[in-house]
Amino acid sequence: METIKADIVIVGGGGAGLRAAIAAAESDTGQSIALVSKVYPMRSHTVAAEGGAAAVTQPQDDLEYHFNDTVAGGDWLCEQDVVEYFVAHAREELVQMEHWGCPWNRKEDGHVNVRAFGGMKIERTWFAADKTGFHMLHTLFQTSIKYPLIKRFDEYFCVDIVVEDGRAQGVVVIEIATGRICFIQARAVVLATGGAARVFRENTNGGIVTGDGMALAYRQGVALRDMEFMQYHPTCMPGTGLLFTEACRGEGGYLINKDGYRFLQDYGLGPPSDEPRNKFMELGPRDRVSQAIWHEKQKGRTIDHPHGQVVHLDMRHLGEKKLRERLPQIYELAEEFMGLDPAHEPIPVLPGAHYTMGGIETDGRTATSLPGLYAVGECASVGIHGANRLGSNSLVELCVFGRVAGDEASSYAKSARNSSTATLEKKADDICNRVRGLVNNANGKERIADIRNEMAKSMEEGCGIYRNAPVMQKTCDKLEELKQRYRSINIEDKSSAWNTEWLLAIELGYLLDVAQAVACSAINRKESRGSHQRLDGYEQRDDQNYLKHTLARYNSEGPPGIEYSKVKITKSEPGIRAYGEAGEKAEAERNKKKGAAHDK
Amino acid sequence: MTSNDKIIEIEVLRYRPEQDEKPFLQSFKVPFTDDQSVLQGVQYIKDYLDGSLSFRWSCRMAICGSCGMMINGVPKLSCKTFLREYYPGKITLEALKHFPIEKDLIIDLSDFINKLESIKPYIIPAAPRTLEQGEYLQTPRQLDRIAQFSSCINCMLCYAACPQYGLKPDYLGPAAITLLHRYNEDNRDAAKAERMQLLNAHEGVWGCTLVGYCSDVCPKDVDPAAAINRNKLNSTMDYFLRFVAPRGGN
Amino acid sequence: MSTRKPYVRPMAGWWLKNPVYVRYILRESTAVFVGIYAVILLVGLLRLSSGEAAWNNWLIAMQSPGAILFHVVAMGAAVYHSVTWFSVAPKVMPPLMFNGEKVPVAKIVAGQYIFAGIIYLVLLGLILWG
Ligand SMILES: Cc1cc2nc3c(=O)[nH]c(=O)nc-3n(C[C@H](O)[C@H](O)[C@H](O)COP(=O)(O)OP(=O)(O)OC[C@H]3O[C@@H](n4cnc5c(N)ncnc54)[C@H](O)[C@@H]3O)c2cc1C
Ligand code: SF4
Ligand code: FES
Repeated sequence: METIKADIVIVGGGGAGLRAAIAAAESDTGQSIALVSKVYPMRSHTVAAEGGAAAVTQPQDDLEYHFNDTVAGGDWLCEQDVVEYFVAHAREELVQMEHWGCPWNRKEDGHVNVRAFGGMKIERTWFAADKTGFHMLHTLFQTSIKYPLIKRFDEYFCVDIVVEDGRAQGVVVIEIATGRICFIQARAVVLATGGAARVFRENTNGGIVTGDGMALAYRQGVALRDMEFMQYHPTCMPGTGLLFTEACRGEGGYLINKDGYRFLQDYGLGPPSDEPRNKFMELGPRDRVSQAIWHEKQKGRTIDHPHGQVVHLDMRHLGEKKLRERLPQIYELAEEFMGLDPAHEPIPVLPGAHYTMGGIETDGRTATSLPGLYAVGECASVGIHGANRLGSNSLVELCVFGRVAGDEASSYAKSARNSSTATLEKKADDICNRVRGLVNNANGKERIADIRNEMAKSMEEGCGIYRNAPVMQKTCDKLEELKQRYRSINIEDKSSAWNTEWLLAIELGYLLDVAQAVACSAINRKESRGSHQRLDGYEQRDDQNYLKHTLARYNSEGPPGIEYSKVKITKSEPGIRAYGEAGEKAEAERNKKKGAAHDK
Repeated sequence: MTSNDKIIEIEVLRYRPEQDEKPFLQSFKVPFTDDQSVLQGVQYIKDYLDGSLSFRWSCRMAICGSCGMMINGVPKLSCKTFLREYYPGKITLEALKHFPIEKDLIIDLSDFINKLESIKPYIIPAAPRTLEQGEYLQTPRQLDRIAQFSSCINCMLCYAACPQYGLKPDYLGPAAITLLHRYNEDNRDAAKAERMQLLNAHEGVWGCTLVGYCSDVCPKDVDPAAAINRNKLNSTMDYFLRFVAPRGGN
Repeated sequence: MSTRKPYVRPMAGWWLKNPVYVRYILRESTAVFVGIYAVILLVGLLRLSSGEAAWNNWLIAMQSPGAILFHVVAMGAAVYHSVTWFSVAPKVMPPLMFNGEKVPVAKIVAGQYIFAGIIYLVLLGLILWG
């Protein structure tokens, strides 16, 4: 097996991985960086992000507001010191993106323009039409080409982390084009492998978003934190789950039920107004909006559609010109995939799994509990999203913490020493044999697609928008069963070059582990908070017992062990999480209290 | 899937480098519903008929650029081409033309990646700006000059459409020239002179004979033919300016 | 040994494989007729300079059925060539701005026809009244 040596290895060429690579290359250490990605970097799922990236920009805005929106949006399960760092560094990172060429939309005077987004008090979302992620990813990828220290391993698939002497010291990868397995030895490892929403059936994610890094770290004993919090995005295409960005509502779109009624006013988000109003109605946070759609369905006020019960996203009043200018991709998706013209017809939508709030547990500087291992981006839980992420916070997270990860990994690698290469190669060899064994011994009768589909369906039933113990238990049991069946999987293709069936089988293994962490974390959280909502006697938030992070620990024999850790609170005590008129009242109360505390 | 599925015939040009001397056609019968894409068709084949069939895909929403293939001889994104459009006829799939086939529908695109890297696809400012100075100013009109040319998803359909690239693989080609043009036209950039040298070369814009098909097949309306041919004008000007002012005319 | 063995497909006969390529080859080959026609005119000019008899012989040659047939074909070719060029012309030029808005492609193409029409009229005028 070939050994490749680098100072730092980064697994993941999405927004987070690229930003980390650039930061490491810009540090003055002159260290070499191996950037591994199972797809060409510009194919990473960051490319699909549509809406935008948030940073305090307007004079009437304030870091404090962004902090409050984020912490309240996360139902107080955020690490508040990390959120403080995040909001303080958001703008400079977006300016940095601008300097690198990102084509942000502009105002007439040439300054960057901002748009409204759900759960944000003031407009602060930078956007590049409705292809923000696409433009950010291509900008980062193209900029990364400038740095000779970054050596890319495009279309290399990571199968394991090499841990020796209690430290991460490299990764084992498959060169997909040949099937060759190599060991990339490094003194620091950064995981930036993205989310895991493919564990659900109806989802907005690309086929590559299979939780790989989460599973890899988890199997090495690093905890997965807050995995029960999966975000459902309210406006997805029935059948495929493709996303219609929240910017549709930010630009003024309505959500209506079968009577043409803007139903969100019945769920504490009103009163309605014609113009979009921040934190009101359609600009409420995603968990609340998705939950409202669920309730409409129970009341029989949704619309029948071949792919389920839908509501309508109505943008007719915005007119073709504005839609084409601000939401061109949405227009295209509606026209080409659904055969309808959003300027003249409402779009049928339903909620779909979208974002993994939880992930690999890290501290505020992206370090995991395993020395030498860092995690960043959607695969990580650095602590800013809590129980519900606000739209447009995660693209910024990629930049702010991508940079931190690059800096931290680079300073760690400077002082760390590798164990002897021979020892590491021995470890890597074992991994190599195991991974090859997977394809050679896979002559069972279980079909990859069957296990994958049964998993996704069961996750949707048990860990959907609303949850209860019996169904969650069924999902947990189902996952145990599927993990057993996975052992007798069949891989028809025994070849080496571009054996995508082999990769699918490995990814399925990752998915099953991550799914189990989600389901077991969910069933143990006996309260309702953010995106985790229960209907079996735990309908309220319970700060007494559950103002804590869930930590799921891998157990090769069965379901994960579940532990809890404290939430860091700096300046925002848990309060009432309200939006619309009720939200304004709650905020006034909070300010009054704060003022009183100051006066004392 | 519902019970009233229709069945469509999908013929795929297979090539397995470890077994086959050359590609061959293999036919599959695939049940489908009207809203299913060609990509979903090949996914069905992989899941239920032949696990060894290989192809690239990810986003399913025409933005990642992975899933291009020749569909009945025309380069298209398989995720936004629908099976119903071909039914009851059959569909023939082949890896994108003009690229070496690695396996089945997978091409080797390293040549393009090298070209992309060669054109300096990043902002090279006249004077670097600090973060404290904030963003560069760029008016909506200035943005408009680059907006279209910066929406390329690197899907390679235009290369599969370009016979000149098939005949002369050294030709820089539509998407790379378009990206180069995008940076040249950006008011934040000052490296036009450096990049013009690539365009002036034989493998640059003059490799193009204006077949124009690249723009027809582009799924993102990038119009690479326009980017290339506007630069023929630029390249000619550049050439004459060098006669007038031998150091490159600024 | 690498398991890679990339397969390069041959290009032979490429221009017959897609109607777009056939039309492209047609457009390019029509240029030949335009070229030949230019040579014929040049010859005429030479004849004119070498005396009236030579000029008259050239005129007579031009009236032979073969020459007329050639002219009809060349005319068709020239029209095809112009039409296809007019339709690609908007790609060759920088975007035309009017009142801060891009002039649509269809308008540019139409503009070319109008311009060509005017030139024909002027030429016709010159011949008839000149
Ligand atoms: C449709 C959609 C719209 C969104 N819109 C917004 C928005 O408007 N605003 C916002 O803030 N956020 C948005 N998000 C969320 C945001 O885009 C993602 O959270 C973010 O892009 C994730 O970036 P990442 O770098 O962590 O991972 P990704 O971009 O997913 O990249 C993961 C990388 O890891 C690599 N990788 C994974 N596994 C392996 C392996 N085993 N071996 C080697 N490499 C591997 C992949 O190749 C890839 O390069 C959206 C998400 C979706 C799905
Ligand atoms: S120019 Fe168009 S066809 Fe060519 S790679 Fe870019 S998006 Fe694809
Ligand atoms: S799958 Fe991403 S472009 Fe088709």
